Amino acid sequence: MESTNPVGSGANLLPSPTDDVLIRLVADYADDGSFGHRTLEVTKEYVRVLEPGDTPSFIIPIGEIKTARNEPLVGGGRLEIVTTRGEILPVISYSLTISAKFSEAARGIEQLAKSEPLLINMKEERLRCALCNRLLPEKDGVCPACVNRGKTMMRIAQYMVPYRKQAVLLALMSLVTTLLNLCPPMIQGKLIDTVLKTHTELPTLWWLMGGWLGVLATNSVLQILSGRLIAYLAGNIAADLRSSVYRAIEFLQLNFFDKKQVGAIASRVTQDTDRVWGFLVEGVPYLLLNGLMFFGITVFLFLTNPFLAAFILSPIPFVLGIGAFFWRPMSQMFHRVGQKWARFHMHLNESLSGIRVVKAFAKEDLEYGKFKTRNHELRDAGMAADGRWYTIFGAMTFFTSLGTLINWTVGGYLVYQNKLTLGEFWRITALLGLLYGPLQWFAAVNQWFSRAMAGAERIFEVMDTETEQYGKQDSHHRIEGEVEFTNVRFGYDKSNPVLKGITFTAKPGEMIGLVGKSGAGKSTTINLICRFYEPDAGTIKIDGIDYRDVALQDMRNQIGIVLQEPFLFSGTIADNIRYGNPSASFDEVIEAARAANAHNFILSKPDGYDTMVGERGSKLSGGERQRISIARAILHNPRILILDEATSSVDVETEKQIQEAIGRLIEGRTTFAIAHRLSTLRNASRLVVLEKGEIAEIGTHAELMEKQGVFYKLVEAQSAINEIIGVGTSG
Amino acid sequence: MANQDSPKGDTKLGTFTQDAKQYHLFYHPKDRLRLTIGDDRSVITVKPTWAAPLSYPKQYLSLLNGKGEEITTIARPESDLPAESFAAVSKELTKRYLTSTISRIVSAKGEFGATYWHVITERGERDFVTQSLQENAQWLSPSHLLLIDVDGNRFEIPDIELLDTHSTRFLETIL
Repeated sequence: MESTNPVGSGANLLPSPTDDVLIRLVADYADDGSFGHRTLEVTKEYVRVLEPGDTPSFIIPIGEIKTARNEPLVGGGRLEIVTTRGEILPVISYSLTISAKFSEAARGIEQLAKSEPLLINMKEERLRCALCNRLLPEKDGVCPACVNRGKTMMRIAQYMVPYRKQAVLLALMSLVTTLLNLCPPMIQGKLIDTVLKTHTELPTLWWLMGGWLGVLATNSVLQILSGRLIAYLAGNIAADLRSSVYRAIEFLQLNFFDKKQVGAIASRVTQDTDRVWGFLVEGVPYLLLNGLMFFGITVFLFLTNPFLAAFILSPIPFVLGIGAFFWRPMSQMFHRVGQKWARFHMHLNESLSGIRVVKAFAKEDLEYGKFKTRNHELRDAGMAADGRWYTIFGAMTFFTSLGTLINWTVGGYLVYQNKLTLGEFWRITALLGLLYGPLQWFAAVNQWFSRAMAGAERIFEVMDTETEQYGKQDSHHRIEGEVEFTNVRFGYDKSNPVLKGITFTAKPGEMIGLVGKSGAGKSTTINLICRFYEPDAGTIKIDGIDYRDVALQDMRNQIGIVLQEPFLFSGTIADNIRYGNPSASFDEVIEAARAANAHNFILSKPDGYDTMVGERGSKLSGGERQRISIARAILHNPRILILDEATSSVDVETEKQIQEAIGRLIEGRTTFAIAHRLSTLRNASRLVVLEKGEIAEIGTHAELMEKQGVFYKLVEAQSAINEIIGVGTSG
Repeated sequence: MANQDSPKGDTKLGTFTQDAKQYHLFYHPKDRLRLTIGDDRSVITVKPTWAAPLSYPKQYLSLLNGKGEEITTIARPESDLPAESFAAVSKELTKRYLTSTISRIVSAKGEFGATYWHVITERGERDFVTQSLQENAQWLSPSHLLLIDVDGNRFEIPDIELLDTHSTRFLETIL
């Protein structure tokens, strides 16, 4: 039995031709908890589990099943069935790798139990790379080992295309510079042989020196020009790369941002692009030039005197060998220093931004202790890396200097024997300096290249990630405001559905209050309306059209949102109010601010509407920021409005003002509101009460209170502590 | 899931139970862990959960009811619970905690931003991939390591000092 690597081979849906098995999934844990295989089979009549060898170990008729679910465990999950008698039966355990599929299977079992049509998505996922059989970091993702480096290289090279003239010019100039660098040794050799040794032909000295001056001047001009060209190319290519990564990131689906930290995403725009252009603009010319020079000098040396050449080049394998052998451990050590720096920074950041807490708890010494540990870790890692570095460098220097020593020994002997002129000897000595210098770094080139490639792959990964479905550009549909949910299911993580079949319709102009405990699915419902995420199953229609058929930006242009923690961009207050409608006149801005009850407090600021608000609008109070964001929504003039806990973080007096403003804002718009204080939703046309991802009740405030159901209980629980303030009551 | 919560009335017990000897945990029916406290109270579905599985292993065992509400927490379950109760709850715990303990690293290779592991655990051999080890390799103490793979599966090395040199060499080069 192939019990070893079950991840790759497990979890296939194999529609069997012989019987009517509807779902067949292979789990990756055996009954005793070891890694192994067990198979779940679902037919119209029963659910059963087969042990290896097809012996059934569990069976239950569909008729006895009430519900089925994925019970999350630590590091895995378990399919559980609740029987019609209310018993919970654990059926089969599996790792997190395949739990999403079993969650779908649980849904399927439930559908069968309720005699509904079987509607589940059992798409097969690739867990291993088809080429090299490595596990894939992301299911159905790209295999980082099999990414075609040639292809990546070509894609990077495309960024050079707009600047190809400059690039070619740069290459030519570099070539000329290389050739010119070889001139002074030649001139010196010639001078020694024709003038210095013979003490004749003085004019040749002047001629040669004149030539040398010419070479120097040309070289300097070329260096200035190529330096400026490199600056031009580097600047442009870096900017282009950053733009295209940023642009790609902007259009990514939100779940990409859920999975990754902001810092990690930002580093793709900064660090990864740096690596790529650094390699393009500095690495490639370096390789090209030094490669050429190395080749040229070697040929020249052998032409001059093969015997001497063989001798003086003999330490080169050692230099290259040391480089190749020690580079990897060396770079790992530097990488470790980098990581220690990151930890050090993190702690420094944390303790400084939490300085109030540190002082309040009088924990300066404790924080200093932590700081000292990090600081010493950094010191030790740095010392180890630098120590190693100087050791290797010293060893390398020995071998490079050995080349010179050999040159003088063997060369000196040859000159003494008159087998080599003094001029030739001098030329060789001078060229040797040009040869050994860059050689030390050749070993680093592979590393350099790998890092640039890794950076490029991360960049292209972002660019190749699926973007949001933007639909037909430029098409416009004026939204009336009817929003219809039909059996909508959704989960951020597919194995854990948050919404489990939501069906309701909001009529144009209605205000729908979404109510429920935290985790019931209120914010998720709103995320779906904004189409930050799309339903896993079921449809959401706007004015009777499936909203996936509406152009995304056109749709979002007609949706306004007021969040609990309003985000203001750095800029003036007026800029922020205009954000959704940059062409609005100043008159309109003031009008919107008045409607949002913001005008007065804005006027009380020294700079009025020109007051700068910093990152997150830190100079304003929560209530002020909230009113600016309401003014922003008013000016945006959306057809569908979303209020997500818009009043929960302010005091009662401010809340009253905000409620007034909201009352003006919601007029004539379909509004979805979440509010923690249930009484604030009294004026909602209808309330949708959510419980564990399902709709428990729908009705007006009065109806639900009369019914004395779930909502009534929630209000009862809250009424003791909450002020009664109605949404939409002006004054 | 109606009839599985604890009976109404005084459901609050002390956070740390002193007389855990009164707690009888047993499977009834076959697959469901049930709790009877003394003679007067019974909880039909019990979910045992370690309060701090990594820093206080085998201590502070919380018992939750079917709704996920705490019934009690037992500080030293192995000595405090009756032997057969402890055996039953241990069986349930092995089913709920699917963390694997690595006993040997056959190979581990960092390539292209991902690390490919091939390990032997108490559950058998396994391949897995980790990414961004800075977050997903957590040192719980200088010798206690937790690895979390790309899917969230957990692999624990309780004491790296106890690994063979072959395995530790991999850890040294990668971490």
